[in-house]
This record gives sequence, structure tokens and C-alpha cells, in this order.
Amino acid sequence: MKQSTQFPTEWNMAYSRRTALKSMASGFGYLAFMGLAHEAAAKETSSHGAALAPREPHFPPRAKRIIFLCMQGGPSHVDLFDYKPELKKHSGGATEIGKERGGAKLLGPQFEFSQHGESGAWVSSVFPEVAKHVDDLCFIHSMQTDIPNHPQAFGQMHTGSFQFVRPSFGAWTLYGLGSQNENLPGFITLNPPADVGGAQNYGSAFLPAICQGTKIGGGQIPALYAKLLGKDKEPGPPLKNLENANLSRDMQRAQLDLVRNLNLQKLDRDKYHPEIEGAIESFELAFRMQDEVPDVLDVNSETEATQKLYGIGQGLPTDQFGRQCLLARRLAEAGVRFIEITAPAKWDHHTLLKENLETSCGATDQSIAGLLTDLKQRGMLKDTLVIWAGEFGRTPYVQSLNGRDHNNKGYTIWMAGGGLKGGYSYGATDEFGYQAVENPMHIHDWHATLLHLLGLDHKRLTFNYGGRDFRLTDVYGDVATDILA
Amino acid sequence: MHFRLLRPTSKPIAPHCRESILGRIPPLCLIIIAIGALFHPRVGHCDETDKQPDPRGIEFFESKIRPVLVRSCYKCHSSDAGKSEGSLLLDSREMIRNGGERGPAVVPGDPEASLLLTAITFDDPDLQMPPVGNRLSESVVADFAAWIKMGAPDPRKATSGVARISSIDIEAGRKFWSFQKPVDHELPETQDPNWARRDLDHFVLATLESNSLEPSPDADPAVLLRRLHFDLVGLPPTPQTLSRFLKRTKSKGIDAALTEQVDTLLSSERFGERWGRHWLDVARYAESSGKESNVTFPYAWRFRDYVIDAINADVPYDRFVTEQIAGDLLPFENDAERARLLIATGFLALGPKNLNEMNFFQFLADVADEQIDTTSRAILANTIACARCHDHKFDPYSMEDYYALAGVFASTKTNYGTSVAPQNQVGGDLITLPDLPGQAILHKSVTAKRITDLKDQLAALKKEEKDGRAAVFQAIKDGEDPSGLFTLQDALRILWRSGSINGQLKKYNDQGEALPLALGVMDREQPVDVPLLERGEISKPGEKIPRRFPEIIEFDDLAEIPADQSGRLQFARWLTHPEHPLTARVMTNRVWRHLFGQGIVRTVDNFGHNGEAPSHPELLDHLAIRFVNGGWSLKSLIREIVLSRTYRQTSDYREDAFHKDPDNRFLWRASKRRLDAEAIRDAMLAVSGNLDTARPEGSLVGRIGDRPISIIGFDKRITPDMDGTPYRSVYLPVIRDRLPDVLDLFDFAEPSLVTGDRETTNVPLQALYLMNSSFIRHQAEGLADRLISQTKRRRRKKQESQIRQAYLLCFGRSPDIAENQMAIRFFEQGSHDSKLPIDKDEAARELMANYCQALLATAEFRNID
Repeated sequence: MKQSTQFPTEWNMAYSRRTALKSMASGFGYLAFMGLAHEAAAKETSSHGAALAPREPHFPPRAKRIIFLCMQGGPSHVDLFDYKPELKKHSGGATEIGKERGGAKLLGPQFEFSQHGESGAWVSSVFPEVAKHVDDLCFIHSMQTDIPNHPQAFGQMHTGSFQFVRPSFGAWTLYGLGSQNENLPGFITLNPPADVGGAQNYGSAFLPAICQGTKIGGGQIPALYAKLLGKDKEPGPPLKNLENANLSRDMQRAQLDLVRNLNLQKLDRDKYHPEIEGAIESFELAFRMQDEVPDVLDVNSETEATQKLYGIGQGLPTDQFGRQCLLARRLAEAGVRFIEITAPAKWDHHTLLKENLETSCGATDQSIAGLLTDLKQRGMLKDTLVIWAGEFGRTPYVQSLNGRDHNNKGYTIWMAGGGLKGGYSYGATDEFGYQAVENPMHIHDWHATLLHLLGLDHKRLTFNYGGRDFRLTDVYGDVATDILA
Repeated sequence: MHFRLLRPTSKPIAPHCRESILGRIPPLCLIIIAIGALFHPRVGHCDETDKQPDPRGIEFFESKIRPVLVRSCYKCHSSDAGKSEGSLLLDSREMIRNGGERGPAVVPGDPEASLLLTAITFDDPDLQMPPVGNRLSESVVADFAAWIKMGAPDPRKATSGVARISSIDIEAGRKFWSFQKPVDHELPETQDPNWARRDLDHFVLATLESNSLEPSPDADPAVLLRRLHFDLVGLPPTPQTLSRFLKRTKSKGIDAALTEQVDTLLSSERFGERWGRHWLDVARYAESSGKESNVTFPYAWRFRDYVIDAINADVPYDRFVTEQIAGDLLPFENDAERARLLIATGFLALGPKNLNEMNFFQFLADVADEQIDTTSRAILANTIACARCHDHKFDPYSMEDYYALAGVFASTKTNYGTSVAPQNQVGGDLITLPDLPGQAILHKSVTAKRITDLKDQLAALKKEEKDGRAAVFQAIKDGEDPSGLFTLQDALRILWRSGSINGQLKKYNDQGEALPLALGVMDREQPVDVPLLERGEISKPGEKIPRRFPEIIEFDDLAEIPADQSGRLQFARWLTHPEHPLTARVMTNRVWRHLFGQGIVRTVDNFGHNGEAPSHPELLDHLAIRFVNGGWSLKSLIREIVLSRTYRQTSDYREDAFHKDPDNRFLWRASKRRLDAEAIRDAMLAVSGNLDTARPEGSLVGRIGDRPISIIGFDKRITPDMDGTPYRSVYLPVIRDRLPDVLDLFDFAEPSLVTGDRETTNVPLQALYLMNSSFIRHQAEGLADRLISQTKRRRRKKQESQIRQAYLLCFGRSPDIAENQMAIRFFEQGSHDSKLPIDKDEAARELMANYCQALLATAEFRNID
């Protein structure tokens, strides 16, 4: 069992209900207290004073929330965003870098590149809609991760570590800042993969359980059947159990009070039991979610124009991702701190690179652009950080005739909004796009920068577990100050 | 036909495409060719001349052929030059015969089929080599023709990626702890001579003492009983069991009472349902193919039942493994045993499969890969499959190790069922079991006429295809436009319809009687070695690797793989060799993990360099050796552990110990654990009185039959939460990517992966399920009815008695004063609720159900101390 036990430091104590419990005698004393606390809570607007209460950042934040568009696999940077004329010129030629891979030859970009916007950023023709937004994008052309293997790279991207079970960076965000909406989980992940580390990629490890990501939607129903089943309106299987058919609201509240008091009783007997503590928090959250979640999840309440903007529509290639992006905006608007979407598109193109990129870009391009447009017109882009990133990039040399292999030494991601420079490119790879040669940005640096944008100092955001202070960036990480607006 | 024609064209066939299919090979034909290719590959083809090369032929090659190749071809077609124009390398025997994009460059004995000769004769305007002005003289061309005719003798060994030098240092690899034989350590001395009850306790206590820690006191007998029940049978003790146990403890002492209880539980059939499920996690058991197509496996449930029965029968673990790897190759005494052994091999057949794969060769390679991966992770906790594309980056497995094993599985036919359909390119066969009396067959028989009809339809389709193709050929021959005569659409229609009919026919004998079917494996008629694939790519075969087992672990007393067998039986013998350093340790550790919440090696599925080291290496060795010497008995191993003093400790928090060892690595207490999804659900069914402990016949998926998961939503037999049965959770349908709600929400093992260590998440969606799902409500009402009827005749203290009974059922203890007060207050306040029925009895029942639901939703219900 990967249940964690945390070391109760001063910080942790302040964080939990244990402080309250400790000051109370067991039995009726604290029950009375809980009764009072509940009444008080009912009067106040913010009833979750404990785990997820909003907390002050270390310094004024540039971004208040993150929408992470996770491109599982490794999108080929040299075919999408990292323009390499030399690679085009030498396509088919032998190369030093291919030598270690049995003499593989260079493969030129599979699409034409052109410059866009005032910034003149190069984007390939396969991302026409995203290209229209380059002046809002901040490209990092020099990303690096440690291991060119899916499970490790996916894990490191999410937790900083490819070896150990560590909190995901969404969990760190929540731990550092709390949630802005008491009625919703602060960290929601849409359609996360079950493999490559599974729940660890949105887990809380030793952080309080309430910081872990809540998963919405797993398997998708193919469009045809979904239509027949009348389920085509949801981005995935809809959240169930949001209503109670039997109980009045008051009765359910009374029931949950009973559950909570019994749990507190148990927690008091056990003295220290994170599982129970987490259960108490999650029941309270669940109770509140019943009111707000059905509305938030209902993307059909959006106007037709908005749905069109995101590429939503029966039979459209962007329908699925469009729904997810629109849902992400609605969640962001509702105060969810960290939203991750695993794109339904595949990005691991060992073969048939060109055709597959056309499909994957085609399934996401309009929706990404729609999200950026929508956030901007709602004035949300300035304090929402949008991230587009895969696990790694791909090699400039060919694999299996018409594909590319994993490349962890240099690749491109982009971010937008959230206090970053727009129309900006940071770092660079060599002339073929193989290795980061200018301002390399390791995953640790990236994490440090993300936390910085949220107003958190990655060196100060620590959690003491088993006698050691842990941080997202381990002992590494430099903030890329150049990219801050 | 040569397998080069099978170059991956994983581009999906567009059904609307109205092109002629001439030259296009439909998937069914592909399958046949690909099997031929896999099992009779030209690569490293071993014919008589290869075995005893004619020295004159070699001389001819060396004097006439090699110099020309070096001078005129290598510049663009050799690995040394780093070039392979058209993916063609000419600098080794393998590569010249494999050829490049267009096909084999040289087909020994067949100059006309040899593209190399076509190129150098300049007969084909599109294929002329060497290029521009370097045309070879006619005499050289004649030499090449003669050379090919004589069988293209060629002494060159593979170069570059093919003639590999493994980067694996076996000697260094053997030094790693998990590759060393377990050592039978003497019991360590401990300061406290009285604490230990069993041998293993000495190891635990010694470690505690050396870390200045003390063990915790024994748990309260009631707490211990609840823990023991969930651990061994996955169900809570009944109040009757509890009271009997407490009485025995008083009269006979805890040791005797505990031993008695443990033996009762071990012999209960519920034990196999609990521990069988642990194995099913590791065996990534599921009833559908998963991945994109996700088609049902309607006969997979037989494997589930096999596992449960084997665990209950305490089949020795070495035998248990052998049955699953090679049951089909084991001797049997009667039909029943034969059936059982065939079903056991379902272990290898029910992995996730990419049925969308257009390239059958790739599909076969992926199936073998999944089998290597699952087998090595499940039994050895090692990731041998990492060596598919490169030598293992961390552990001592070379690509040769991998491809030697791949040969074993390539020589094995995997029968997983499913039929060819739009979403399934690669329907498989099934195993027909011997006919047994009383055998469950879920599909109904049909009439003999139905079978005849189906066969007629199939023949008609075959004829239609044949005629259509003939018409196209004729049209081309006559110089006419063949388009529209026999279209791709026609071909696909025939393919899918035939697939469906074939799928039907598989299920019946000629009389239309339903056949007993199972998933499983069998040896192929002719076993083969497979070539090492450079970077794991099927288009880059190198030298053939003789079948054998990973070099890092060798035994002197194992038989060779017989020429006419796949080698699975020998593989099973290798895996279960009593001196295998991994197998017993890994299983012992899995058992430990289920009883203590974490393994002695915490990474239970990874005993390699990326895994964690054991917290108690000597203890692990001790238990592993004991396990093997005790006849690999799972029940004995579990018995030994649960009777230990270590297991008996309380799980209470102790501040001093916690500060020293927050993760409880040294076992200073029992761990507090949340129950698995199945135990949570089963416990609710048990306390509500709704549980039916009978084994349901087969599985819901078996009744639904062979179809894509995406359309089973239409089936009225399936409830929205995929639940709705009173049977134990182990019998719920396990469909990849469509799990029953309760399993999905409470961290069921991902059924596409080997999972020895489930996650424990704690999220509000679980709370919503416990608050609002119809399943919970139903159990709450069941429990309420049970409490009400049990206290019907009581006049006094009715409510108190109900509360007490509820606590005994749910938590195995009585409520304390505070809990009693809370309940009474809940009933008092709740009785005024506006939504309650007017009828007094109904209102009381409703309120009681609300109370019971609260108890089921408490953390205590789903946690053990």
C-alpha cells in the first residue's frame, strides 16, 4: 500500500484539524466543539478552514491557476515548433548523432514552416490555428528531461522524480496555495492515463490526501455509440452519484455530520491517521460538490458560438478535446487551481510521423486556439497559465523509415498567459534540433519556474516527511527569469 | 511469398475508398503469410548449404562478388558507411537477403526474384544500380547471376547493430542482491528472549532492537480477529465468530484460539476468493482485450475460477506457475485434469491486445512481448521486456536474452478468441476443452441446420471473393478498366462477414452443440528461433537467437529444450527451480505485502536495480527458503506469518517510534490499512445480509458474448454501475477501461498491468459514491431490515440493542458511550425530517437505513487496524 505517513511538523500541524483536536479532551468535549465549529462554518462563506483554505503565496503571483494540456508521448518539436532549415537541407544524410543509433539518417521536417504574428515565431503548417496565437505564446526550445522512456519521463514531468513516489506538481500547487473554490476539488485531471505511473502522476504521496488530483473521465465512448446511447454530450463518462434520490438535504447533512463525528472520534483514538483525516476532508468536499459540479460540468450550457470556437461538434476531429478544453475553462473560471487534460491525441510517432502528426494536430489545433481565444476575451489569460507540453521531443534522425525516436536532450514546449512574455522564444537546440545548446531548461528548472509564476519559491515550498524536508525540485531548479513578463 | 511484402502499412484502410484491391493483401491473407514469415523466416535461414558451406562457393563469393560489393555498393548500402539507401544494406548475409524497401535483394537460388540482379542488369528503368555511369560489366552481372543460382553462398556475418556486442556484464550483474541465492541464516540473537512466537519474529525483533525500537504490544483480540478475517478471506467476522473467538481466547489462550481460527479461515473457500484475486491482479486478469478495440473475452472467467480453485487447493506455487506457463504440455490423468491444465494457460492468453494492428507480424511480436513482460514482472519482479529494443539499461538482461525468450513465445500459439470485425484485424482461435459432465457452457446450442447455413454462407463469400478477383485480373489482362469490379468495400464486407461467421462456427460442433471453450496457449507445430530485431523493429531482423533463458540465472540440471517443443515447459522449470534466486523471494514478498501493507521489498513488482532494497534481507531469505522447503505451500507461508508475534502487534501510534521510523519499515507496529475495493464491497454485502457466497456460473461478460465493449451499453443485463449482483466482488465483470464503479473508485488493480501493489487514493468521488450510490443505499436498507427484524421481539432497550448489533456487524466491536449518544441524537433529530414516510414503521426503517448508511460510510468501516 502506498499510503503515506507524514511527519507532523509545525507547519503540518497548523494545517490540519489536529490542532483543534489536540486542544480538546476526547469525547463530548470535542464533539461539542465540532458542533460549534459546524454552526460557525454554516454562517461563514468559507467553511473549509482547514486543508484547502486559500493560503498566501510567498510573493505576489503572476498566475493564479494552471491549465496543463498534457500531450502524452513525445510531440516532434522539429516538425512542429522548432524550425531547423539545416535539418531540411541535410535530410537523408548521415550524421554524427545518428551514428550511435546504427547509422540512422537525418529526416527533414515533415511540414513547411512559416513565420507568424508580430513576433515572427516559426510554426509548422500542421498547427495553423495555434500559429495565430504565437504572440501570446512563450516557447521553451531547450527542454530537457533525464530519461527518454515513457514511464520515467511522464513521472518526472509530473512529480520531478522518475525513481521515487513523490507528490505531483498539481498537488504541490494545492498544498502551497490552497483552493479558490470550496465546492470543487482544487486539482482536477481529465482522462489521465492508467499506465506510465497511473495515479502517482496526480497523487499527493506524503502531502495531505486532499491535495491529490481528482480524476474525471477515463475511457471514452466512441462517437458513434455515444450518439446512439445519447451520451455524446459529455467529455467522458459523466461524474456519477452527484445526487441523492432518498434523502432531504437536511437529512443528508445530519448523516454526514454523524459520519464526520464518528471519523473524528476514530481519529482521536488513533491520534495520527492520515487516511481518516483525508476521508473527513473529502466527505466535506463531496457534500459541497453536489451543488456546484453538475453546473460546472455542463458544457452544453455554453453558446453555440463558444462551442464552435473550441471545435465542438458531432463528427469533428476536435470534438473530444474541444469539450475537455471548454470544461477546463469552466473549471478554471469556477476557481479550480490546477486542471490537467491528457489529450486524446497520440504523440508517440515512431512510424508514419507525418500522417500521425496530421491526425494528432488536427484533433487538437482548433481547441487549443479556442481555449486561448476564450481565456483572452474573458480576461483570464493574464492570470491563467496555459501549458502545452509532452514528455520529450523526437530525434532529428529517422526511425523505421518514416518515424522518429524519443529525444530527451532538447525539445520544445510552450506556455501562455500567467505573467509570461508573449511572442517570446527561450533557449535553442543545435542546428538539427537534437540537443539543447542555449539556456537548457531541465524539468526541475521548469517546475521551479512554474512555482515562481504562482508566487511560490520552490526552495521554500517544503514538506517535512520522515525527518527530511522535501521539495518539488529536490535539490535542483533555477527559475528562468528571462521569460517573466 | 516473402515476408518483406509485409512492410508495415498501418495506415487504416479507408472504407469509402473505391480503389481496386488488386495487389492489396487483405488481413486474413496477411495473417497466413506472416505466420509463415515468423516461423520460416529467410533471415538466417538455415539450410544444408549453410550448415556445411561449400568451400568453392565461398571462394567464388570472395573472388568475384565481395570485391564488387565493396567497390560499387557499400558506399551507399553498408552500415560502416552509415548509409542504407532504400533501407537496403548489402554488407551482411542477413541484410542482403532481407533486402530493403522493395524486397529481398538476393533470393538464394532464384535470380529472377533477386532485385539485386534486376538492378545491375538495368532491365527495369525504375531500378538501376549502381547509378550514373557506374554500370557493371556484363561479365560481372553474369557472375552475380551464377552466384545467386548456386545459392548465394555468403560467409559474411551480420555487421553493425546486428552483430552486437552485448553491453551486459553478467558477472557484475550476479553481484546484485536479488540475483544471489537466498542464504539460510541462523536465527539472530535478541535481547528479549520471550517475545518471539515463530522463527520470523527473531529477525524482526533483532532489527527493531538494533534500531533502538521496541515492538508494539499485542492487539486487542477483537481487533486482531477483524484484521485476520479481512486479510485471509476478505470479509468481516460475524458477531457469532467474534464472541466464540473471545471465549476461546479466554479459555484456551490467544495462541490456541488464533491457531484454530487461522486454520478455519485457511480451509474456507472464501480464502481462495481473496488470495486468488491477489494473483489475478498480478496476472492482469481481464475479460476484454483492452486498448482501442476493446473486445470481450467471453471465456476468460474460466481462468478466474481456475485460480481461485488452485489457491483453495493449495496447489504448490511452483506447480501453479508451471501450469500457467505450460499446462498444455503437462501430462494428465483424465479429461478433467486436462481441461484444468489448458485453462491455466489462459495466464498467457488474456493480456491486453492491440486488435487494431494491421501488421500481423507486429501483432505477433507484441503478443510475445506482452507475455515476456507479464511473466517476468509477475513471477520474477523483473522487467525483461525492457531489453526488446536495447540491452536493459539497469538490469543484466541483453537483447539476446529477450529474443531467446521471444522464440519460446513465438513458438507458442496464443488462443484468445474474438473474431475479425471492423475493429478487429486479428481474430484469434480458442481452445476447445474436453467434454466434461456438468461443465458450464454459457452460450446456447443451435441447430445443425444453422451450422450448415453458416458454412454455406461462408462458402458463398469465398466464391464471391474469388470470382471478383478473377474478374479484376481478367479486365487488366484485357486492357480494360478494372475499377468498380471488385472494390475494397466488397473485400472488407466479405472479410468482416466471414470473420463473424468464423467466430460463430468456432463455438459449435457440426451438430450445433455449444462447445466448452477457453483462452489459452498451445505449442505451434514447428517451433522456431526468432531473429534479434534491431531496436525492436520488425523491419530490422538480425541473427536468429536460439531459444534459451536469461543468462544471468543458470542451472546445471535443467533439460535442454527439445527440438519439437516451444520451450515453455523448460521455461517453467527454470522459473520454478528451487534454487532460483527470484521466484520464491518475489512470491514471499507479495504475500508479506498483503499482510503488512508493504513488502519487505517495497517495490513488489521490481526486484531490479530500479527497485528498492529489502528492509529485512535475512528475513526475506529465511521465508523464501522455508517456502521452497515446505513444498511451495502458500497456505503454510501465510499461516506462518499470521501466527507470528509481528503480525499480532497493535497498529497504535507511538510518537517515539514514529519519529524514528515514520514509514514503519522496521515493523514496530502493525500498519493501518484501507481495505481493497472488493473487501469494501463484500463487507457491505456481508453486513447487510445480502451477500450470496455461492460462485455465480461464469461471468456476465461470458453471457454477453463476443463483441466490442463500446456497444455493451445497449445490453440491459448491465447496470450503469456494472454491479447489481449479490455475489462476491471477485466475480464482478473485469472489463478493461470499463470497470464496475466500486472497483474503479477504490483503486482496483489496473487490469492491463501487472499490479502487486495497488494504490490507495482518497478522493471526494469515493465519498460521493458512499453518500449517493444506489448500491450503498441498498446495503444500508438491508442492514436496517436486519437490525429491525433481529430486535422485533425486544421491548426494552430496543434502540440500544440495534446500535450495538450494528457496531458488532460493521466494526467487530461495541459502541462506546459517545457513539451511542451520537446515534440516539441522530434518531431524535432525524425523526422530524420532512421527507420521511408518514407510516411510522416505514419512517423508522428509513431513518434506520440512513443511520446504517452513515456507518457504512465511516472510515472505520473500510479501514483495518
